[in-house]
Amino acid sequence: MKSAVTTVIASADAAGRFPTISDIESVKGSFDRAHARLEAAEKLAVSIDRLTSQALDHVYGTHSYEQANKDKCARDINHYLRLLNYCLVTGGTGPLDEWGIAGMREVIRAQQLPTIAYIESFTFIRDNLDIPGDMSQQAAAEFKSLLDYLIHALA
Amino acid sequence: MESGAFQYQSEALKLHFWDFVFHMLDAFSRAVVSADSKGSPIGSEDLVALRKYVADANKRIDATLAITQNVSCIAADAISGMVCENTGLTQPGGHCYPTRRMAACLRDGEIILRYVSYALLAGDSSVLDDRCINGLKETYLALGVPLANAIRAIEIMKIATVAIMTETNSGRKMFEGLNSGSGAECQDIASEAASYFDRVIAALS
Repeated sequence: MKSAVTTVIASADAAGRFPTISDIESVKGSFDRAHARLEAAEKLAVSIDRLTSQALDHVYGTHSYEQANKDKCARDINHYLRLLNYCLVTGGTGPLDEWGIAGMREVIRAQQLPTIAYIESFTFIRDNLDIPGDMSQQAAAEFKSLLDYLIHALA
Repeated sequence: MESGAFQYQSEALKLHFWDFVFHMLDAFSRAVVSADSKGSPIGSEDLVALRKYVADANKRIDATLAITQNVSCIAADAISGMVCENTGLTQPGGHCYPTRRMAACLRDGEIILRYVSYALLAGDSSVLDDRCINGLKETYLALGVPLANAIRAIEIMKIATVAIMTETNSGRKMFEGLNSGSGAECQDIASEAASYFDRVIAALS
């Protein structure tokens, strides 16, 4: 699982060396940002169902998608938000890359899913985040940069 | 400990390098893997341990430095200690004779120490388990390395590492002016380091 720490260790191990000062500095850098990340993860865990249903209402309110698929759409949005929660915890995009993005194109093509609906949902969540009601400024910055990463991957 | 012990291991690692990358976890990704198996996001309760890991980051960094700045000292002392307790090792016919085999011994000591330093930095033993312990006993048995002596050397490394981290060693004290303040503050992290040495010992027993 790729995270800030394991990336450093994997490259140190590939070179057969002990963690150097610069390796340790980079791990320390990820610890310094950890406070905001963990806050974002915590707040996201609390509001994951609400964010999902708000995004769902927005998408179904502005477009005429099949009502039959609504619960599946909700499940998928919830799934991606859960992976974002994991990414916030690890401090890297590992969980999203490995469990959310790898093979995503193939699945979307095979199922003929409207990716635009997902993109709109996540854009809605990103643009309607309540600061500081939902989370603090720094936490929101961490969360939003991951949302951007996901939107970019879906596009 | 005999020549070649880790060369074979590392060849195998190169072949499966990417498989291993995904098995390597740290304290954070360990929490993610366990939350994913339940299909739930990581909430406040699970974050308590991770917040402690972040709060203790300076101690962890100092403890890692305690190893990386004293590698040759720790490894050389351990191998010398092992030989002193068992002088037959360096006599003709002994497992550390000639110097080529003694050098292999020193190298293995440093390799084990290196993986312990990775595990300590990550706060998780998976890298040590996957890349060092897995197959170690089989390799030593196949090469005729006496396990009892290897275990003794690792024990001495453990004692030396804990002493340096907690500043109970007799030589230079290393934490003055560093991040965590003093060795006395590093008791917990030193016990964690000791537990990683114990994993290697248990695997060889």
